[in-house]
Amino acid sequence: MIYRETGNFVTDYMRDREIFPMKFDKIMVVLGLLFLYLYVPTTSEYMLSAHVIPILAVGLAVVGLNILTGITGQLSLGSAGFMCVGAFGTFNLMLRLPEWLMSLPVALMISGIFAGLVGVIFGLPAIRIKGFYLLVSTLAAQYFVWWFFNSFTYFINYEASGVVAVPPKMYDYWGIGNFLGIDMQGYSPRYILALTIVIGLTYFAKNLLRSTTGRNFMSVRDRDIAASVMGISVPKTKLLAFFISCFYCGVAGGMYSFLYIGNVDLMIYEVDRSFTILFMLIIGGLGSISGSWLGAIFVYEFPILFTWVGDVIFGGAFNTAVVENVSNMVYGVFIIALLIREPGGFAALWATTKQKLRMWPYPH
Amino acid sequence: MGDLLKVENVTLQFGGVKAITDISLNVKEGEVCAVIGPNGAGKSSMLNVINGVYVPQIGTVTYDGVTRKTISPREAAISGMARTFQNIALFQGMSVLENIMTGRNLFVKSNWMEQGLNIGRARTEERASRLAVEKIISFLQIESIRKTPVAKLPYGLQKRVELGRALVSEPKILLLDEPMSGMNLEEKADMSCFILEINKEQGLTTVMIEHDMGVVMDIADHVIVLDYGKKIGDGTPKEIMANQDVIDAYLGVSH
Amino acid sequence: MGFDWVYLIEVLLGGLMSGVMYSLVAIGFVLIYKSSGIFNFAQGTMLLFASLTFVKMTENGIDFWTALFIAAGVMVIFGVAIERYMMRPLANQDLLALFMATVGLATFQEGFSQFIWDSDIHGLQMNKFLDLQLLDSAPIFVVEHIPWLDILLPKFDIFASLVAGSLIVVLAFFFQKTKTGLSLRAVSDDHMAAMAVGIPLQTVWAIVWAVTGIIALVAGLLWAERVSVSFTLIEAVMKALPVILIGGLTSIPGAIIGGLVIGVGEKLGEIYLGDAMGGQGIELWFAYFMALMFLVFRPQGMFGEKFIERV
Repeated sequence: MIYRETGNFVTDYMRDREIFPMKFDKIMVVLGLLFLYLYVPTTSEYMLSAHVIPILAVGLAVVGLNILTGITGQLSLGSAGFMCVGAFGTFNLMLRLPEWLMSLPVALMISGIFAGLVGVIFGLPAIRIKGFYLLVSTLAAQYFVWWFFNSFTYFINYEASGVVAVPPKMYDYWGIGNFLGIDMQGYSPRYILALTIVIGLTYFAKNLLRSTTGRNFMSVRDRDIAASVMGISVPKTKLLAFFISCFYCGVAGGMYSFLYIGNVDLMIYEVDRSFTILFMLIIGGLGSISGSWLGAIFVYEFPILFTWVGDVIFGGAFNTAVVENVSNMVYGVFIIALLIREPGGFAALWATTKQKLRMWPYPH
Repeated sequence: MGDLLKVENVTLQFGGVKAITDISLNVKEGEVCAVIGPNGAGKSSMLNVINGVYVPQIGTVTYDGVTRKTISPREAAISGMARTFQNIALFQGMSVLENIMTGRNLFVKSNWMEQGLNIGRARTEERASRLAVEKIISFLQIESIRKTPVAKLPYGLQKRVELGRALVSEPKILLLDEPMSGMNLEEKADMSCFILEINKEQGLTTVMIEHDMGVVMDIADHVIVLDYGKKIGDGTPKEIMANQDVIDAYLGVSH
Repeated sequence: MGFDWVYLIEVLLGGLMSGVMYSLVAIGFVLIYKSSGIFNFAQGTMLLFASLTFVKMTENGIDFWTALFIAAGVMVIFGVAIERYMMRPLANQDLLALFMATVGLATFQEGFSQFIWDSDIHGLQMNKFLDLQLLDSAPIFVVEHIPWLDILLPKFDIFASLVAGSLIVVLAFFFQKTKTGLSLRAVSDDHMAAMAVGIPLQTVWAIVWAVTGIIALVAGLLWAERVSVSFTLIEAVMKALPVILIGGLTSIPGAIIGGLVIGVGEKLGEIYLGDAMGGQGIELWFAYFMALMFLVFRPQGMFGEKFIERV
């Protein structure tokens, strides 16, 4: 077998905590990056616009929610609200600041910070409120943010319909597109930007989790009193988790509106989306970053796959209502079944499979 | 040597129930002080008052020369108190290594940005923490379970990990709440050795709640006896053995 | 301009009535939470499922009482199934996992009820079936004999309050006086201890879920009369969350008073704060804000049991 652990010796404590400890893993990572950066952009526009980019955007939000709920143990139903802040923040930064100053990558990061700060405000009650009671705070965030952007049309440039298409010039990136002669509005450049942000932020999250900050988050989740006895400031840790989590959601929201659908639309960020993100998190597995991505892929792709099956096998027998209802049933069954059989979600299933392969052909 | 810890006239109430009534006690620097007493005597509450988990209605705690009425658990940790809990308070979702690493959090100066980017200080500090943790791990002889999730460990080992988490913070005073409860003889012997060794080699002041009189007589320099929230004995193990009130409390009196 | 007292009282009464409606939903929550510590997120979809089942049957020509009876039977079966196939295998998991399971249940139920029935919006006029004067949608005048104080109060709201009130009385009786109620209270205090004294935990839970199903049916029908039988029922339940949390999750009187506070506060907020906030529809989040303010000062809710953390 190629995947062997023997011969991989750790000679340094820093090597022991590496994300990809094995030589084989490292080769795969390089190959994977080459694939993602060189091959995927050349696949069809449809592939990028209907599958890859939305998964990248939504998955990032799931990673964000994971940091708050999976790692720090603070229940949140406000993810879509924080995404909304990110989307509207990006739009307004791009709209109102001069072109030489603001460009999409920068605007995304700054609006991520806005979303983070909004998150901190709604996270403040978490210092006193615990458990289910915290749902009120995050739902308040969800509904308030939605109402806010719905009421103050300034933020959508007084567009009466409540939807505004992203003007092409916002994809200008300081004019690089014209300079290189590439249509920067096309899906390939959008994909490259989304991918780069996602890889960067996933790496950041991974690092965070294997360092003091991540351990502080988990200690607050597992036993907050013990955490404070260890000298960890529980309020500060919670607020930091809110900030980082909502930063991720904010960036994800900006990406969703700008890199995926290409318009800023309040309807996308209703409470349903918060739930979808929560489903992705639970199915993928709380606390696992790779699980968040698995969950995002499953929940996003299932209805598409189901529709496709309906079209191909049953000759288009399923209308959208059927697809939606069946999807909801499937998510529900998956959530309950996973919680019963494997509370760690897809991530744990994956880990078990890997372990079995490692041991193969010896079962124990 | 002087007193490292001084508790004066502390009274703690929950609603109408008095958990501790007017207790004063001193702990000298470098000694192993055992707090004994029947269940419900207020021993755990006493530790909770000392490191700020509970706030007493009356009384003060003087620690390291500073007298205060209240202290937050976090401040207590910063000032060098480390403790373990009666019903193990490990972080159940984390591995042994991660649990003990949390004990180093106060030594970490890098911020979350540095840690997320994995650069500069964050890396050197992580390595330094790991080194300190590995020392403790080998001292406690738990190398083989380093990466095991603590939830999967048997009770005795969990207690050991919890001790490790307390020790790695390099405390000035160690508060142990029944470190040997539920252990068999061998495990108790191991645990006693660890406690004694740290005390003798590093002069670490230790306050320990313990039920096993054999252990207490063996390793304690100083014994405090509580009963129904009151102090009924205070002295060397020998004095305590001879104390009539203590014998009555433990063996019962015939009326 | 003088202060419009009549208007204020009308608003207060309106709030009171929506409080009653909220508390109808809240009772189901409290029942599950009290007996198993679970925050049942599927309450809203249970309302939907129950009322949809009922409406579809009446639309197919089954008469009111038979339909009601069958729908109640379906809810009981559903409740028992939930206990058997969801709660029992999850018994040893932490509360967060159980909460997530109810989120899963909610999703499943939302898909399921609209899959087997349909996703249309159904109207429900109960006076079509019940020849009750009270269900007349024409408002009645309360205290008509005071000439300057005619307050409009829909008869339906009075009917809803009566139903809610009698439900609460029945439940109070059930909890306090029957043997099953006693077991329920024991279970809510301490699962392990209850099991140790021989209370059949699983039976108790099955009963709770079945009763919750029936409450969901009653609440669902009353809510449906107001809004409609459709997914809006789920939204109605989302609105009930702050009510329940203010009430403290464990107390039925708490849920009612929480409902009143939110119901009245919401109306007052919309009327007196709405313009100042520069936009309409602050009702959307105002309840959550009130609940939040409340919880910051009293984290366990109004009547919730104070929780002492032991270490």
